[in-house]
Amino acid sequence: MTPAAVGLWFDGQTAARLEVGVQPSRDLRGLVIQPVQGSAVVWPLDRLRAVEDPASDRLTLTLLAETQDESPRDPARLVISDAALIAWLRGAAPKLMHRDTRPGTTRKVILRIAGAALAIAIILFVFLPRISDALAENLPLEREVAFGDAVVGQMERLLAAGADIDLTCTSGEGTRALETLRLRLTDGQNLRYPLRLRVFDHPMVNAFAAPGGPVIILRGLLDEADSPDEVAGVLAHEIGHVEARDATRLAFRSAGSAGILSLLLGDASGGFVIALLGDHLLSAAYTREAEAKADAFAHALLARAGISSQGMAAFFDRIDKIDGDLPSYLSTHPASQERAALARAAGTGTTTPALSAQDWQALQSICAG
Amino acid sequence: MNSLSMTKATYHGEGMPLFKLAFGTGLLALITLGIYRFWAKTRIRRYIWSSTRLDGDAFEYTGTGLEKFLGFLVSVVVLAVYLAIVQLILFAFGLQFIVNPRTNAEVIAQLIVVYSTFFAVLPLLFFASYRAVRYRLARTRFRGIRFGMENAAWAFTWRAVVLLLATIFSLGLLAPLMRFRLEKFRTDRTFYGDTRMTQGGTWTGLYGAMKHIFIGLGMLIAAGLSGVAQIAPLAIVLGLVGYVWLIVGMIYYQVQGFAYLTSHKTLGRDIGFLAEPETGTIIWRYIVGSFQIGLIVAVVGGLLAALAAGMVQGLVSQGPGATPPVGLLVLFAVAYLALLVFVAALALALLTQPILAHMISHISVSNVAALSLIRQRVADKGADAEGFADALDIGGAI
Repeated sequence: MTPAAVGLWFDGQTAARLEVGVQPSRDLRGLVIQPVQGSAVVWPLDRLRAVEDPASDRLTLTLLAETQDESPRDPARLVISDAALIAWLRGAAPKLMHRDTRPGTTRKVILRIAGAALAIAIILFVFLPRISDALAENLPLEREVAFGDAVVGQMERLLAAGADIDLTCTSGEGTRALETLRLRLTDGQNLRYPLRLRVFDHPMVNAFAAPGGPVIILRGLLDEADSPDEVAGVLAHEIGHVEARDATRLAFRSAGSAGILSLLLGDASGGFVIALLGDHLLSAAYTREAEAKADAFAHALLARAGISSQGMAAFFDRIDKIDGDLPSYLSTHPASQERAALARAAGTGTTTPALSAQDWQALQSICAG
Repeated sequence: MNSLSMTKATYHGEGMPLFKLAFGTGLLALITLGIYRFWAKTRIRRYIWSSTRLDGDAFEYTGTGLEKFLGFLVSVVVLAVYLAIVQLILFAFGLQFIVNPRTNAEVIAQLIVVYSTFFAVLPLLFFASYRAVRYRLARTRFRGIRFGMENAAWAFTWRAVVLLLATIFSLGLLAPLMRFRLEKFRTDRTFYGDTRMTQGGTWTGLYGAMKHIFIGLGMLIAAGLSGVAQIAPLAIVLGLVGYVWLIVGMIYYQVQGFAYLTSHKTLGRDIGFLAEPETGTIIWRYIVGSFQIGLIVAVVGGLLAALAAGMVQGLVSQGPGATPPVGLLVLFAVAYLALLVFVAALALALLTQPILAHMISHISVSNVAALSLIRQRVADKGADAEGFADALDIGGAI
């Protein structure tokens, strides 16, 4: 016994609603749709598709057909409310819930993704670095210095965990020792930027250069270092970054790429957080080359200042052993062992310690006063 | 208004199924780093469209997640080039002001830089919003017949920018002009099948809906005057009441402005619309929904926080030197993001949908019988779907 019922028919040509008789065809392979006037339409069961509808008391049907539409669907619709007929159709129509895509869709998707990825990669890695380098090169010095000071202020707030404390260490003896070290490193070197050294009272083993000349040493680095030569090595490296305008360049690249990344990931569901993470990875990739150059600069600077690069090598060796504790310093830096070897190889000629034993002690306790 | 036969639209969506749909698809979007969001949006729209009925027949949303994704890929490349250039140039000019302005001149410079970023993106926002509306209409069907909109996104964009400038320079007094003209621009290009819609009425007709904004502003001005005259209690009372009045007035303007515009639309020559939403009911639903969400989030968030505290406690007891493992931090980050998805799904089910249900069920259509004469229109390819709107992240979940 095959159920027959009344359905609502929308022919896809007009917005008229027609009541039609609906019943399975005699061979049970189609659905016969019989209007009151005119001839019947037969929809084959294997081409029947359901239109998604949260209402459970009815079933809206359409037909798989080649059209110009977004999905290969006939514009006509048939709504059935008869429970018995719906139950029969759910059993008899094999692909009722099937989602059809046109042939060649996969190829189109892959091509589109590849094209977009290529375009974005070109923008991020060719276009953006060129523009940001050009902009960084043409930036007036005083604007760069002002920007660097703002960055240092921001960094200080970040390290103080939001509290409004001045982190700069100012013990009198220590400050004098720091000045001695600065003169030792910069005297007669014809640097483009006036080097300004500060020590922040923070346990992290790190040092960073901001645009326009300020170089910040964190106390943890002084605690960790065994000799003034080690600190001098790190400082020489940071001076290399300042002279090459790496920090400024990086700021430009981040500004451009952060926008693009948040664009790609969408802002919903914390995309912003992921964008930040991705941006950091990107900037790490940017600077590997710059790091090697800063190292080379440091070797030359140390040689001219008559400071042994063995300290620099020793420092990298030690960093390599306690790797796990130093994520911040290492994340954007090349493998320490390799760098230690290069530093060791650079050390020839006569050298004297970067600071006297007394000055070194004063510098190490700069945050104690 | 044709009063011979009015047919009310009805909304049949329910909270729980929509919440499950939004939360499930939101989690999928999270796992796929955002890629699934196009399919999530499609499924949510399909639910809402098919829950909306007129004269017993449901609307149908035929958009697909795939076409949204593909459209997004095109738009994002175009936008990336544009935004990268704009951002870099502005960054070069505004460098030190953005982070830390020190003098008044620098504060002004900072404002200019921030606002010029905004104005560089603004035309794109209007452009994207028109394309998004056009795409939604092209993918909406009723009784098997397609809706559609003429392609006039650039004409819309420059009009919108000019009208926005007029609104800003008139201190908001010309806001109804902007709203009316843009709505008319869109409506007059909207079709159901082969039949065009028309926006009637006048822009000054919207001022009626603005009355409570003016009352609220009047109170705030009176509060300011009594402050100057040193009558403190009066100033405080007037200030508070005026502030609340102004906020309610803005909602009233949104809702009743919509009612005015909808009630003055016609489809073809003889099909009319009437919208009679109640501002009070909408504000009430908003308050109730916010309260429910706040309660649920407090309970769920509290449980999660207790759980997290327990885990950290266990870690600390391992010894003072133990550092938190990276896995735990990642777990916290993911839990936080999942909580955001949870709140967004709650907001859709408890705020957006109830308000939408009220708006829809207070729209009536006159002369529904005339719909039978409307004929089908050709399919609209809509090449980039709503890619620009997706890339600029406007329009929200639906």
